[in-house]
Amino acid sequence: MTRRGARPLAARRGTRLADLAGVGPPMVLFCLFIIVPMIAAVVLSFVTWNGLGTPRWAGGANWAQFFRDPVARTSVLVTAKVVLLSYLVQTPVSMALGLFTAGRQRYRSVYAAIYVLPLLLSTAGIALMWESLLDPNFGALTALSKSWHLGFLQQNWLGNPDLTLYVIVAIIAWQFIPFHTLLYAVGRRQIPDVLYEAARLDGASPAQMFWRVTLPQLRYTIVTSGILMTVGALTYFDIIYIMTDGGPGYTTRVLSLDMYNVAFVQDQYGYASVLAVILSAIGIAVAVGLVRFTGFGAMASQQEGAV
Amino acid sequence: MADTPGHPARRGSHRRWLTGATAAVAVLALAACGSAAGGGKGSTTSTSAGAVTMWLVTTGPSPANTAVQSLVTSFEKSHKGDHITVDFVENQSYKQKIQLAMGAGNPPTIFWTWGGGPLQQFIKAHDVYSLGNPSWLSAFLPSSMGAVTYHGQVYGIPVEGTQPVYFFYNKSIFAKYHLTFPATWSGLLSTVATLKSHGVVPISLANGDQWPGLMYLEYLTDRIGGPSVAQALQSNAPHGWSNPAVTKALEDIQQLVKAGAFQSGYDSLHFSGGGSDALVYSGKAAIQLMGDWDISSMLGEDKSFVTNGDLGMAPFPTVAGGSGNPADLAGNTASYVGISSHASAAQKKVALAFLKEALTSTTYAKAEVAAGEVPVTKGASPLFTGQPLASYDTTIYNSVQKAPSFQYSWDQAMTPQVANVMLTNLAQVFELSQTPQKFESVLNSQAASGS
Repeated sequence: MTRRGARPLAARRGTRLADLAGVGPPMVLFCLFIIVPMIAAVVLSFVTWNGLGTPRWAGGANWAQFFRDPVARTSVLVTAKVVLLSYLVQTPVSMALGLFTAGRQRYRSVYAAIYVLPLLLSTAGIALMWESLLDPNFGALTALSKSWHLGFLQQNWLGNPDLTLYVIVAIIAWQFIPFHTLLYAVGRRQIPDVLYEAARLDGASPAQMFWRVTLPQLRYTIVTSGILMTVGALTYFDIIYIMTDGGPGYTTRVLSLDMYNVAFVQDQYGYASVLAVILSAIGIAVAVGLVRFTGFGAMASQQEGAV
Repeated sequence: MADTPGHPARRGSHRRWLTGATAAVAVLALAACGSAAGGGKGSTTSTSAGAVTMWLVTTGPSPANTAVQSLVTSFEKSHKGDHITVDFVENQSYKQKIQLAMGAGNPPTIFWTWGGGPLQQFIKAHDVYSLGNPSWLSAFLPSSMGAVTYHGQVYGIPVEGTQPVYFFYNKSIFAKYHLTFPATWSGLLSTVATLKSHGVVPISLANGDQWPGLMYLEYLTDRIGGPSVAQALQSNAPHGWSNPAVTKALEDIQQLVKAGAFQSGYDSLHFSGGGSDALVYSGKAAIQLMGDWDISSMLGEDKSFVTNGDLGMAPFPTVAGGSGNPADLAGNTASYVGISSHASAAQKKVALAFLKEALTSTTYAKAEVAAGEVPVTKGASPLFTGQPLASYDTTIYNSVQKAPSFQYSWDQAMTPQVANVMLTNLAQVFELSQTPQKFESVLNSQAASGS
């Protein structure tokens, strides 16, 4: 965390050519694999094409369809719910676990190792595992509900329209909380002990230390983790695809899944491109908005004199 | 379940997203260099003019695959200078692979197809060579040719067994409660009530996949309104979905759901996990409506259940006042191969000669039977003798032979634009979260915009 932004501009002028040479190859790859496909998607969004033959010019028909399509409207809403719920669930739990595992006691590192386990599993594996655990006829939860007489565990977890979205959000949280826990643990360990010593000398209670020292010092960890959670949840696909494929009905059909279905199941590449463009636009807007709003872009060390 | 016959979208659905991602990249790449690819249209990658390439879908090593290879070898021996290269392609990724190859104008000479709506898309894009209507095609049962016939022209040749749908049931449960399999819809409802009163789940349904529910709609519309209803729907006839037979069928489905016929969580269970089969052979549930591949699945999952003769099989019941013939079938008529119109004249000639010789041969029909399939070539009955599932195979073969109408699975017969929306909305009908009227209006507008 050196203060790179504060380096005088004059010092960089001499290295402009070297900068270009260094940036060149990644820029070429970036253009080829990010920019060109993005432009292609925008162009495709104005044609009717089933993947065969010549695409036909459709004008704004695909875009008009988006605003009339009830499934797309549902998908946008479901996506918003997944993003919001994921953020609200994952942030407090990750922070609590992160602060806990940041402690130097040995038993805490044992916990830290256990908490990190889901991070090591493949997403498809996680989805299949939960699918069989939650099976209403042969699943472990159903077996538990029978042997321990815990009736509330006997639910149609993945088939009840009022329940499934929350189950999915919980499983996504289960998968990603370990990662954010790591971020918070690292963030906490970087707070210099002198700050706590000073607070203690001033007679601060543990709660005050949390609100006045820990939380402000974790500000950028919160921002980083928040951006990763939001943008990640926005394009979330695999677990939902494997476990419910958007069902029951359309209740877990997020925008990325809708796009996949329209493109590769319904062979409507033009309209699917509209969904792709909208999804990218929302993603970029949210990311830029978060960076601006939180001052992430101008991020610099807050620990004057402590580094 | 290496030898299990099944449907493209019906076996082990969990790997689809990988292929989807690959296809996404490929489409973008295609789109990016569309103009370049356009110039190559009509050419093929093969070097020699008569060299034929062939893509066949496989779910694992099977006697049928070996048979194709040996038929190729003997064909090359008797036709000096002709070469056929066979590529066996994994089933899950195939749909997108062939779509991309066709879109790029660079498909193999002989391509595998499930017929129906997707094949029609290829035909409309002038990607498929018309076989016309030659007399040698009469070697196949007529009911198997509908899925590859378009405007009176034939575009495909059956290459794999037929897969009609039947009710399968646990005979010991039926014996225990002194039941026989009902021949009428009202009989089915009272059987459901009886089974329920004994604490048995009446019917197992893997509707997490959505297509198992479709089988009910296919059969009910046929039994109520006859085969013409489905034909009108498949041609995207205006307001076709408002047909009273469809309405009645949807209402009957909801009546079955309301009667508590299905196990809890029927709307999230997947067939590929084996859960819906397990309910039946473990005795938790009594009945399942499924394609004939279920016999092989059950055999793989609980061998003694099948070999002890506990697996019963029955046709779909009749509906009072309906005009459909009780011998009508629904399901997958067969799988097929077509010839690409992008191939050279020499390639087409070789391909046609080979397919005619190989697919009408007894050698191939025998190999299919050994692979646990029911071939659609005429006069195949004697081949079942001595096979482990001979009694099932014979029943299936005879019912296909006698069926006045064998309607092709709607999700395959219809254009992809309609099929996907139909499946999702029908699943909502099964969950009672969608009325028949709403279902019909959604499908009518999708059919109007998709045609």
